[in-house]
Amino acid sequence: MNNLKFISILLLCFLLSACNEEGKLSLSERSVIYCAEGSPETFNPQLVTSGTTIDATSNQLYNRLIAYQGDDNILSPAIAKSWHVTRDGKKVTFYLRKDITFHQTDYFAPTRTLNADDVIFSFERVLNFAHPYHLVSGGNYPFFQDVGLNDLIYDIEKINEYTVRFHLAQADNSFLANLATDFAVILSAEYAEQLTKLKAKSDIDTHPIGTGPFKLKEYRVGSLIRFYRHKQYWQEPAKIDQLVFDITPSNTGRLTKLLAKECDVVAYPIAHEKIVQHEDLSLEAVTALNVGYFGFNINKAPFDNKLVRQAISYAINKETLLDTVYQGKAEMANSLIPKTSWAYDNNITKQEFNPELAKSLLNFAGYSDGFTMDLWAMPIQRPYNPNAITMAKLIQSDLKKINIKVNIISFEWSTFLQRLKQGEHQAFLLGWSADHPDPDNFFTPILSCSAAQTGSNTTFWCDREYDDTIKKALHTNNIKQRKKYYAQAMAILAEEVPVIPIAHSKRYQARGENVLGDILAPFGGINFYNVSKKSLNIEKEEIKSNHRSKQNNSNTGVN
Amino acid sequence: MLIFTLRRLSLFFFTMLLLTLLSFSLNFLFPGETIINLTGAINATPSQLIEINEAYQTHRNIFWQYITYLKHIANGDLGLSMASQSSISTEIVTLLPATIELSLVALYIAMLVGIPLGFIAAIKHSKLTDNLILSISMLGYSIPVFWLGLLAILTFSISLGWFPSAGQISLLFEIKPVTGIQFIDILLSDSPYKWQAFSDATAHIILPACVIAVAPTTIFIRLARTSMIEVLDTSYIRAASAKGLTFQQIIFRHAIRNSLIKIIRHVGLQFANLITIAMVTEVIFSWPGIGRWLIESIYQRDYTAIESGLLVLSCFIFVVHILTDFIYAALNPLARGNKYGAR
Amino acid sequence: MARDKIYLEEVFPSPFTQLWLIFRKTPVAMLGFSCFLFLIVLAIFGPFLAPYSPVEGQLDMILLPPAWHADGNVSYLLGTDELGRDMLSRLMYGTSLTFGLSFIVVIISLIIGVVIGSLSALTSGLKSSFLNHFLDVILSIPSLLLAIIIVAILGPGIDNTVWAVVLVLIPQFIHTTRYAVKEEFRKDYVLASRLDGASPFRVLYYSIFPNITDRIMGQATLAQSAAILDIATLGFLGLGAQIPLPEWGATLANGLDLFYIAPWTVYLPGLAILFAVVATNLVGEGIRHALKLRKEH
Repeated sequence: MNNLKFISILLLCFLLSACNEEGKLSLSERSVIYCAEGSPETFNPQLVTSGTTIDATSNQLYNRLIAYQGDDNILSPAIAKSWHVTRDGKKVTFYLRKDITFHQTDYFAPTRTLNADDVIFSFERVLNFAHPYHLVSGGNYPFFQDVGLNDLIYDIEKINEYTVRFHLAQADNSFLANLATDFAVILSAEYAEQLTKLKAKSDIDTHPIGTGPFKLKEYRVGSLIRFYRHKQYWQEPAKIDQLVFDITPSNTGRLTKLLAKECDVVAYPIAHEKIVQHEDLSLEAVTALNVGYFGFNINKAPFDNKLVRQAISYAINKETLLDTVYQGKAEMANSLIPKTSWAYDNNITKQEFNPELAKSLLNFAGYSDGFTMDLWAMPIQRPYNPNAITMAKLIQSDLKKINIKVNIISFEWSTFLQRLKQGEHQAFLLGWSADHPDPDNFFTPILSCSAAQTGSNTTFWCDREYDDTIKKALHTNNIKQRKKYYAQAMAILAEEVPVIPIAHSKRYQARGENVLGDILAPFGGINFYNVSKKSLNIEKEEIKSNHRSKQNNSNTGVN
Repeated sequence: MLIFTLRRLSLFFFTMLLLTLLSFSLNFLFPGETIINLTGAINATPSQLIEINEAYQTHRNIFWQYITYLKHIANGDLGLSMASQSSISTEIVTLLPATIELSLVALYIAMLVGIPLGFIAAIKHSKLTDNLILSISMLGYSIPVFWLGLLAILTFSISLGWFPSAGQISLLFEIKPVTGIQFIDILLSDSPYKWQAFSDATAHIILPACVIAVAPTTIFIRLARTSMIEVLDTSYIRAASAKGLTFQQIIFRHAIRNSLIKIIRHVGLQFANLITIAMVTEVIFSWPGIGRWLIESIYQRDYTAIESGLLVLSCFIFVVHILTDFIYAALNPLARGNKYGAR
Repeated sequence: MARDKIYLEEVFPSPFTQLWLIFRKTPVAMLGFSCFLFLIVLAIFGPFLAPYSPVEGQLDMILLPPAWHADGNVSYLLGTDELGRDMLSRLMYGTSLTFGLSFIVVIISLIIGVVIGSLSALTSGLKSSFLNHFLDVILSIPSLLLAIIIVAILGPGIDNTVWAVVLVLIPQFIHTTRYAVKEEFRKDYVLASRLDGASPFRVLYYSIFPNITDRIMGQATLAQSAAILDIATLGFLGLGAQIPLPEWGATLANGLDLFYIAPWTVYLPGLAILFAVVATNLVGEGIRHALKLRKEH
């Protein structure tokens, strides 16, 4: 009967699989599974500021002209083997490497190595409104617009095949730092040409081609991203054959997968005590420059009123938030930037917790009976806020004491960000992780007027005085003067309270003991280039991977 | 048989009418613009909107709108998901087989365990074994499935490490989805790790399938028990024992076959139940099926996906229901007569 | 002692009393019944008896394990959650939400279902056939799936969950009542009173209802256990009771993130649900068992 057949087939399979056990071992030893907290919105980091997307794309698929290296975060060569800045700071010339190859995939086969055209294409797409690719995928390049690179760069000149010169409107302190961020990646101009011919321009952001250590093999929305090693990488090729991002938004789900050995590395683990107890697991942390904050939508009543915002800032008990949500592992935020930044102003006072004062401020603002508000809390764990829902609950009970009723609202992460950008919210819990060590990376993208226009400043707060101050800080070379300007900016923030900074936290990650190599970095996204697994036999692996790649080429199409 | 078929067919059309009407009216009930809810085209430019309005005939009266809606469904066009902006019918085609696969395995386990246990209970009627089986079965259908799933993960994945806790297959194996049913896809694939993939997929399906199977198992126990008791009470069994057949002969030759027929009738109903339990279990075991997808769509207020997902899922359940009715009627001629006799 | 009966009278207990007399003799069913009563009392008085607020926590008492644990604290008998909320109080409040609401839900849908069901039993022809078809369709879809569908339409929330479950349960009551009434109508005693000239409604009220109460009760216990599970499941999926309501399913979902460090936040609500459903099912089993025994006599 059918049942019997089924059972016997099943048994047969078990027997066969037992014989083949060795093969599986080598497969898992040559691959790393990373449990990520969310899906990327796109595969082009130019289009986003979301850390989840950066993690999945920048360092894996792409390279930048220059990069940060070492513990001191010194700018170092990447695609550009060297660069030169004129004395007036207005001309920056990059000399490119000649041996950089793009990914070869099922959908694209490069015929040439990287040259100046690719660099110019990548930046022109972002900066030039008339560029044929500018409006593909919406025409929003939040990071570049926020830091004002489109105003700063007025021309990009091709000197020869491997030399590119940027002409700047004025000297700018953060220019090189901005080019070294995860957003300023180099795309392939040749691929863009091919897509134009195929009339499939938007594929450039969904089926990415870059120069990075890994190439995209497969993406299933909300489920997994599969990368293969880029064998012709211009540096030593990555040590692992296959890198899989297992998208697991649930905190418990990620921990379960780690404990059940279904993931090698896990983003933002919870229950640190539990992980530390296991000998074959390790927990690591990196001091990241970030800030978690409570923000107001200035366009929505009653938060257009400064007094209401101040009242709420007095009513929130940050100490308990730090104890409960961050479990005492974070530092209280008094302003946007952490104490470790050179621009931190020691005169800034700690935010006082004073519900009485908050009440009288509310009375003064004409809300003596309180009001009802919506608080949007992030659905997933971020380095700056490990559990926004719990934080929202605590804030809910804090604000109840001054007669404000809070409704907590949450959406799936990419929907959440999208709706925030459209300004549907009243107040929100969010945060920011720095992309480079320059303090400007906090002040401009979070709260400037230009960021309010692109929607990355979700408070929509736009203050001329503040904007002028942070712009002045960018144009001066005198570090003391800069510090003074930033102190001024922070004083404005303390008075206007568009956001209530809550904490500066570490970024955590857990992994199985057999995974070697650094993944976390103090800035920007994670990097799997240096990762390998214990007991890896390089020679044997080389032969097998060649064999395998032949097989894979026959599988065309990407999901 | 003809009249029976006609009756079922009329029921089928009636249901389809009801379900499509319901899902069509949902577009008006959900917040937001009807046409957007219908198509999911949230980012449409004005010119695209005109096109969409034309395609769905919104300028004509509601009856014609409904007819055009039916035409779109018949062409497999269920609109775009508001959240991911991808075609819903493609998403459903990839997800539904995973749910079916899981439910079928669970149904199989439930029948394999439940029916023999029910028979044993019936044979040992009113004895300790019977009471024991009945008590366990009551515990089984009282336990909340999401809780059971969590306990199962904690015990079998974390503490014992026997089975994986999430997903359909280890992500290391690259299996191209062809039919959507993982086991068939593995067999079709040309991966060098085919057989490991197969055993890995088997290990992945055991835990969720068992969790889903618990509640239906208890129902099968009861069904099998009642039906066996009834059969044992009939005169032909008494006649058989009068003839001098041994107890074993009676059970295996006569009783089991006749009681099985009665159970088959309920399999269809149980399948619907199973799919619902599977929806919840999929969430816990991160199974890439339609249940998890539907629940996520509800979170994201993705109205187009909710509406189409519900339509497809309820149609599917109903089709299974009618199919089992046919199988039952084919196996048991008595059933055909009863259906259109006295009502 | 009561006065002795003066003359012998044959007493016919009502069908319901008969049922109770048999029911009383089944110890397991009585155990279930007392648990059921206990839960009802808790659902009504739980909010007054609970030692702490279910919503506001003591922030210096977070993640305390239950009292029998080495690190436990006797004043928090079942421990606390990540916000320092007392689990015992949350579960007690949860009784009124999960169990109490499901009880109310069953009563509402019972009344609506019985009314529609008995009226429909009096109809015939096309209307009846339409209703048959309609019921067939509705009853073939599992209650939880229907509830999810309705919540998807109405939007998440505890009030919408209640309406969804009410709507889901009504067809079952219609079906049971309709079937039972039709069956009774065929019996001789109904014929007798109809021959006496009683109107159909009078027959329904005086002759039929007393005879079908027990069957409807049996259906009600089934409905109740389904309602508890449905409300809890919707709460668990985040479609039912919203933050910070201490509904059992929602409490369990809330404990998920703490599963590995504070497992009691997951075990306890699960046990509470299990307890309530088992108690309800024991009562239901008792009723069905008694019904069967009565038939056999």
